[in-house]
Amino acid sequence: MELFEDLKRGLYQTFVLDNNYMYFVRGLKITLIVTVASLLIGLVLGVLVAVIRSNYDLQRGKKSVGMKLLNGLAKLYLTVIRGTPAMVQLLIMWFVVLASMRQTEHNMLLCAILTFGINAGAYVAEIVRSGIMSIDPGQMEAGRSLGLSYGTTMRKVIIPQAVKNVLPALGNEFIALIKETSIVNVIGLKDLTKGAMIIQGKTYQALVPYFAVAVFYLVLVLILTWLLGIMERRLRESDLR
Amino acid sequence: MISVKQLTKAYGDHVVLDGINETIEAGEKVVVIGPSGSGKSTFLRCLNLLEEPTSGQVLFEGEDITGPKCDIDRVRQQMGMVFQHFNLFQNLSILDNMILAPVELKLMTKEEAVAEAKRLLERVGLPDKADAFPGHLSGGQKQRIAIARALMMKPKVMLFDEPTSALDPEMVGEVLQIMKELAREGMTMIVVTHEMGFAREVATRVLFMDGGNIVEQGTPEEVFAHPKEERTKSFLSKVL
Repeated sequence: MELFEDLKRGLYQTFVLDNNYMYFVRGLKITLIVTVASLLIGLVLGVLVAVIRSNYDLQRGKKSVGMKLLNGLAKLYLTVIRGTPAMVQLLIMWFVVLASMRQTEHNMLLCAILTFGINAGAYVAEIVRSGIMSIDPGQMEAGRSLGLSYGTTMRKVIIPQAVKNVLPALGNEFIALIKETSIVNVIGLKDLTKGAMIIQGKTYQALVPYFAVAVFYLVLVLILTWLLGIMERRLRESDLR
Repeated sequence: MISVKQLTKAYGDHVVLDGINETIEAGEKVVVIGPSGSGKSTFLRCLNLLEEPTSGQVLFEGEDITGPKCDIDRVRQQMGMVFQHFNLFQNLSILDNMILAPVELKLMTKEEAVAEAKRLLERVGLPDKADAFPGHLSGGQKQRIAIARALMMKPKVMLFDEPTSALDPEMVGEVLQIMKELAREGMTMIVVTHEMGFAREVATRVLFMDGGNIVEQGTPEEVFAHPKEERTKSFLSKVL
């Protein structure tokens, strides 16, 4: 009976008292903005780097200086980003690279989006590259034989097939990204996780706020998984073999 | 129309094409035969630079397409190619496969391209497949679509790289039929194939390749009935 009373008090203080639930609402907004925006940056950056890397790897014969330089830069980017923790990258971005910025929430948000976008890009790049390398070279040859340029064939034929093939792996990366954004409070952003921490500080309740926040993340991931499932099924319509 | 001068292709020390000289005139139907590894596919793929020649020149309508100033994409628009493994774009419907290049390259509006695609689908006997995806078709159907896709560009010459080698035997006929019709309409064709019957019936000239060289050539009658070279005789005795 006492347990039940405790739980009731916990729920009340976590959500109802002082309109505490607003910490979750505002936090959820921040988490979603950071996730979605960095996801988009990560996709664009990742595909770009993947095209550079696979173009370099698949090219036969002599390679131009420009290609070598681009490939070198891409490799450096992958090594540095994948070799250091996201939290360290976030701290460096905020306290070193963007140190001269005013400490507004708007700027913190920008910093978080940029950091996670660049971070996700590195992982997406390797995933998409594996997809591009898995496409039959005949697809590129067919495109080129019709007079299409390398870029057009890549855009219209290769990338769509590559992305379809690696969708499960990309989904994995996006799920990891949602959860990884929970460290943005180290630069002062009040995301979902920080919301729970604030409520704990105010009410001395731990169980309910942290379980609540865990459920929020779980639901977000479930929604994303569901969306990815729909996308996968749609894209698979073209290859009922 | 196509003229090849001292064409060589080597992968490291391995010489695949050993200084080939050949000229193909408009309207000719040239069939290239020879044992596997003789360089016939490489020769064909050098004509539209899918394979970069190690040295030598390829001239298309007098223009050196191996030169650094040549816009190869523009030249390829006029040279259709059909592959052994069809290479239809897996992510696109049959209709989109066909209209992609002419629309992207602004040679036709989308409406014109769709109309032309429908006409060509009718011609290759697959008018009801416009909305299907490549994965739904049989090998013979895929190859007929691949030919139609190449024809969308209204090419001046068609290159066929073993178009029937990956097909089940009962599907070979339908593809050869379309190629024969194309030949009858006057299309310039260069065909690498193992179909000797097709070579005899359609070719205006047969090239026999071995060891990276054109060993013997002539009309089908000359090459098949009265081969002069020992290597040609031994090859034909095995395949006929």
